[in-house]
Order: sequence, then C-alpha cells, then structure tokens
Amino acid sequence: MTERCLVVLGILGALTVVLVLAAIPLAAQAPAAKTSGAAAKKSYVQPRTPDGQPDLQGFWTNSTYTSLERPKNVTKEYYTLEEAVQVEKEAAAREAEQTLPGTVADVHYDLTQFGLDRSQSTHAKNLRTSLIVDPPDGRLPAVTAEGQKRAAETAVARKRMGGPLDAAENLNLGERCIMMANTGPMLPMGYMSGYQIVQGPGYVMILSERMHDFRVIPLDARPHPPSTVRQWKGDSRGRWDGNTLIVDTTNFNSKRPGVGDNFAAGQAFRGASEDMHLTEWFTRVDADTIQYRFTIDDPRTWVKPWTAEVPILKDEIQGPLFEHACHEGNYSVGNMLKGAREAEKKAAAAASKTGSK
Amino acid sequence: MRMKLAVVAAASVGAMLAAAPALAHHAFAAEFDINKPIQLRGTLLKWEMINPHSWFHLDVKDADGKIVSWMIEGGSPNQLIRMGVTKNTVQVGTEIVVEGYQAKDGSNKAVGRNFVLADGTRLFLGGSAPGGGGDKK
Repeated sequence: MTERCLVVLGILGALTVVLVLAAIPLAAQAPAAKTSGAAAKKSYVQPRTPDGQPDLQGFWTNSTYTSLERPKNVTKEYYTLEEAVQVEKEAAAREAEQTLPGTVADVHYDLTQFGLDRSQSTHAKNLRTSLIVDPPDGRLPAVTAEGQKRAAETAVARKRMGGPLDAAENLNLGERCIMMANTGPMLPMGYMSGYQIVQGPGYVMILSERMHDFRVIPLDARPHPPSTVRQWKGDSRGRWDGNTLIVDTTNFNSKRPGVGDNFAAGQAFRGASEDMHLTEWFTRVDADTIQYRFTIDDPRTWVKPWTAEVPILKDEIQGPLFEHACHEGNYSVGNMLKGAREAEKKAAAAASKTGSK
Repeated sequence: MRMKLAVVAAASVGAMLAAAPALAHHAFAAEFDINKPIQLRGTLLKWEMINPHSWFHLDVKDADGKIVSWMIEGGSPNQLIRMGVTKNTVQVGTEIVVEGYQAKDGSNKAVGRNFVLADGTRLFLGGSAPGGGGDKK
C-alpha cells in the first residue's frame, strides 16, 4: 500500500471518530432527560460475565468538557442544551487556540493534527454545570483548619525545593510519568481519557490509559491492609450491590497530585490527607453508558464529604489501548532543564550588561 | 530533491504573554524557544513512537550541503494509532517539511507544529477541530 493510501486511511479513521462523536447523545442527566433515562433503564438487561457478575467489560472513556467545580459565574445545576453546546464550542476553541502562530501557546505540536483535543474524541456531552453534584453549589466544601495548616506547610516545603525547573524531582508527577489524577477517583484528562475494564472470577481490573495505571480490585471482602501500608493509588476493595459495583479505597499516600498542581511535593487528591476515604459506584445504565459516581470523605481536609458524577461512555474506537509506557525522561525532561539553565544564563548576562552601564 | 534549513523571523515578544492551555503534558515553552521558529525539510531517518510524545529523527541538508540530524517532538503515539496512523504510515526515507520551534539550548531538537509531506499534504489529521489550525496550510 502506498504512503498516500495509508495517510488517507488515517484521515478516514479520524473522520470516523468525529462522526461517532456527533452521534453520541447527551448524557441523560438533565431533569427533563431523567424520565427517558429511567425508561431506558427498565428495558435494559444488564449482560453478565460467565461467572455471573454484571458485565462492565470493554473500552470506555470519561472525556468531557464539564469541569469538576462549577464555574464561579454559573449558579444553576444544568445548562440548557443551547447553553451546553455553546460552552463546549467555546472550550474547544480555547483548546484550538494552542495553534495560534507566534504565541507561547503555539510552542507545542498542533493538537488538531495529532487528534489530541477532546473535540476529536468520543466525549460525554453533559448538561451539568459541574461534575460535583454535592455540595449542591457544585464546588468543593470549605477546608478545615487542619487542611489549611497542611496546605500552608506544603507550600513552604515546595518553596524550599525551588522552582519547578530547578531539578527533575521538582517536575510534577505527570511530567515525571508517575501518575495522573485518573486512577481513583477516575477524573477525565485533557486528552486520552481511555479506560479498559476486565473482569475475572473474584476481581475487577480497571486500566487507565494515561500512565498505563491499573487497579486490580478484589471482590471477596478481604480487609484493607494496616494503615502503615500507603500506596499511590490506595487500596481498593469491591462488592456488588445488585447491578452496581461499589469500590471502597483507603490507604493512600500523601504524595498524590492535585489537579493543576504543578509541583512534585503534592498532597493527596485536591489537597486531601492520606486518610481520605474514596467510595465509587459503577452502574451500567445502558449498553453504552456507565453511570459513575464517587464520594470523597476526608474530615481532616473538608468540613463535609463531596460527591461527583462523571459519565463514562463505551468507546470501542478507543481500544485496544496502546500501552502508554511513559518515557518523558528520554528527552523532554533533559531538554526542559537545559532550557531553564540557558534562560538563566541569558538573564544573568543581561543583568550583568545592565549593571556595567 | 531540494533541501534547506531556513530560520525565519522571530515572533513578537508581546505574544509571549499568552497563557499556555492546560492540555500540554509538559511545559513545551520551557523546552523550546518561541524566538527560534524554524522550517526544516528533510528525510525521515527514524520515528520513535514513545509516550507521551513521539520523536521524529530527520536528516536535513544545511545551506552548505552538509547533512545535519534533527529530532522533532510530536504527539502521543496512542492517539496517532487511534487515528489509524502507524509506523508504516510514514516510511523511513520519506521527505517531510516541519514547521516548529528549536530547543532553547540551541541543540538540533525542535517541537513540530506542522508536519507536511513534500507535495503539501498534511501528514496527520489536521483541521477537524473547530477553529483549529488544520485549515491554515
């Protein structure tokens, strides 16, 4: 096959992605849509795995433009369809802005070429104005005095480490290919929010595409390990309640990234303590949708628990997932540090020149 | 086959104030220099499909006719494969034109904004995102 043919095939493949995206219905979460959603649930017969578990297996994505917290200028729980379309259109345009020639944002490969923006992938068109459904204002609860003190101490520790480009260890956990914020709770990424769920007798495995992180969740009610055992992704235990998989996760470490956290010495998710308790509910409501809801309870950080709901859509186009073996250290980490040293030299030379005048 | 290495005019400093969206995996502006935009025409020597960013190795003939090796950073292999692009899509030896920005340390590395075949065809997807840069070529 000629190169041109293969390129055309690639473009056709990408167009298919776009067409599938156009065919995806809105995540049925608006009050008006709940009625039809309930009707669909009644007629939907949940498939079973050979060992009798409700079947969640396959390739999925939780990509969405809906933010975790409600924008400050929005006071309602749901957008109208017209508003949701407009919000998404504006967000897609902001992402495409990365291609404006001559801007700092332009110093990047073109997302539209590499299919790395959400508009080119399957994503949930969600009428909700935030993923957080409780508290009702769609925003994280107030932080406790202990949480504030810990955040201040962490800020001091970060300052002591120096700037993010002063050392490889100062780069954030994602840049160092350690982990992203998609392994529990499963929050959508800016791009490549793919997942694979595999079930075997007594276990559910959830693979997160980026960083190729996976959780093997036993279903046999075994106890969590002692509190001295701390892990990046915590320790998960699952059980079925009817057709809903409930996953209970504890034993996190205190180094996890916060979303938007650009430093390595992060705390647990969104500033939570290592004692945060994560509960997740997975319910397959139709062949193509898992209703995913999670609650984080961490009295050491927030005055009350908070809950979010993220639609997860079936996406066979996303699979099989090519292994996301992340090797940023091969080139980019060195390039960034060298670039920073070069910038320092230039700044020092400029300062010296100014001083000699 | 005519090859050249052209270093074009620097972009305005004022434009540097624009904020980078959060989509970047790492800080590309820390790695590459907005004041060193480049256009390279060369032949593909090797394509490293490593995550989170693929790297394209090019042989580029400079103004003196000497072959110089360049490394160009591009998008995630996962997404390329999802779009139907594989290592076989672009054969070693293919002539490619790349527009991008050179590494801050002055080495022969660059981020490739646009990858175009010798006949002007965009190498990858291009242009399907609303308002995207795909229709600029």
